[in-house]
Amino acid sequence: MRDARAVSSVELRRFADEIRLRAVRMVAPHGFGYLGQALSSAELFATLYLTEYRPGVDQLVVSPGHYIVAAFAAAAGTGQLDEELLLTYGHDGSALEAIGTERSPAVDLTAGSLGQGLSGGVGFAVSNRLKKNRDGRVFVVLSDGELEEGQVWEAAMFAGHHRLDRLVVLLDANDSQVDGPVSSITTLEPVAAKWAAFGWDAFDVDGHDVDALSEALAAALDTPEPSIVIARTSTRRGLTVLPPDADGHFIKLPAELADAAVAALEVRLA
Amino acid sequence: MVDLARDREEVVCLSGDLTRQCEVDLFEDAIPERFIDVGMAEAHMISMAGGLARRGHIPFVHSFGVFATRRCFDQIVNSVAYPNLPVRIVGFMPGVSSPGGPSHQAIEDVAIMRAIPNMTVIDVADAVEIRQVVPQIVDLPGPVYLRLKRGEIPVIFDEGHTMSLTNAQVLTTGKDVALIANGMMLASALAAAEVLDGAGVSVAVVNAPVVKPFDTRTIVDVAEGSSAVVTAENHTIIGGLGSAVAETLAEAGLARPLRRVGLRDTFAEGSKTAPYLFRKYGLSTQDVVAAAWSALGRTDAAPPTAELQLDPGEYAPV
Repeated sequence: MRDARAVSSVELRRFADEIRLRAVRMVAPHGFGYLGQALSSAELFATLYLTEYRPGVDQLVVSPGHYIVAAFAAAAGTGQLDEELLLTYGHDGSALEAIGTERSPAVDLTAGSLGQGLSGGVGFAVSNRLKKNRDGRVFVVLSDGELEEGQVWEAAMFAGHHRLDRLVVLLDANDSQVDGPVSSITTLEPVAAKWAAFGWDAFDVDGHDVDALSEALAAALDTPEPSIVIARTSTRRGLTVLPPDADGHFIKLPAELADAAVAALEVRLA
Repeated sequence: MVDLARDREEVVCLSGDLTRQCEVDLFEDAIPERFIDVGMAEAHMISMAGGLARRGHIPFVHSFGVFATRRCFDQIVNSVAYPNLPVRIVGFMPGVSSPGGPSHQAIEDVAIMRAIPNMTVIDVADAVEIRQVVPQIVDLPGPVYLRLKRGEIPVIFDEGHTMSLTNAQVLTTGKDVALIANGMMLASALAAAEVLDGAGVSVAVVNAPVVKPFDTRTIVDVAEGSSAVVTAENHTIIGGLGSAVAETLAEAGLARPLRRVGLRDTFAEGSKTAPYLFRKYGLSTQDVVAAAWSALGRTDAAPPTAELQLDPGEYAPV
């Protein structure tokens, strides 16, 4: 019983690049920021926003508040958020704070303290069950570094036990955290097998392949268990102008690099 | 709570693998569809309660006070208190009421909950107040931390008593010592007041179950009419009721000798019985009497407290 909107791969890829362009423009005035998160998750947000996610009917949790830049960019792309407002991102007094807060528009829940979003999403899914609402789905965006937090696994165990089938995790596995590559700090693999062992259906895909993402998301919504789409991604994706050693968690973006990034994306979108 | 929940569909009951110990098994039996045993996962339980509250539910979350506050402090801050959600956290076994040792003794829960913006903090004294507090907090805006004793509960008030969330209550009037207490120490404070009265010292006993928001007006009024002030709490003297009173007196510019009865910046220990701990760590009626005596500047021996004769199962202050 899918009611996904019919959308072409070309449209999805274009929407992803629009997310990248908006994120560059939001981060550029500060000279640095959470751009890597938007670059790695652009296709994931594009696929979610243009296919399955129904604002107001489904709930969207962006667990790591550092990814809110991507949610803002995607929400502006679908008209949920004023394009002009994006330019206030991260500035003093703006409701669009750089790390998601209670004031952040466009999402149902986000948190700057990592590892708590899945529990909140589980709360939404349990609420739907208590209210006998079979229509609503809950989408929770997680990052791979966040899987180091034990609370994620408490929530995963609970959701598996209660078979919260309308709950879908979208994991941006970009192998990036503050101190470096996640894989150099903690071995998370086998990620899919871990979630499967907790009673989840896991779909492990190339997170920049919009067709693979669309199929996985559709399949994830069609199982009797909670599901996870593991999107393998890169924090430099889509911007070859970035230096190879760019810090994925907090990218330095001086004016000339920002201009080059904007130019490259505008050419692609032209 | 079962009575309340029957009328209020929003109320859900969460337990962290301590269902019988937190005495919510009755809820599980009566309204199983709104009872969720989350297991030993306090961090997840608190954040999930936040998610439920965002969707219109009123979660009552049950665990021991230690686990309900220490293990999930960041979750209480970020998933519940900062978004100002109506999650009711019920922490059982306050202070040294548990002989289970430092891992099971919530001695700083009031201090850390009181430090969180939006949080209401309540430590009730007796069975009559416990019955009244649940319906009183259900519609309170924002989160609540409620400290509850399990097992034998003191009965201090008669059925006509009305628990107040806004006013500290002056139970006896006196001009020598203001004795401000809550939770399990209220019974000790009342017993101490009798002993002091017998020694010619008149005592104003104040019941202050709500530590935040604190009724500073009543505290200042009573302290103004007294020569000295004593606080008594089943908790460390750092950050709880005693601190709230000290801050209130200082901000009012009211100079009164102050003594705080409570754990003196120490962990307690495991034991066979709780009364042993109340005596050893300075939380007995005799300690309250001695604190009042000292606050009044008396250098002679404080009057002794008589041993109480009790019926089996009856709660007694130590």
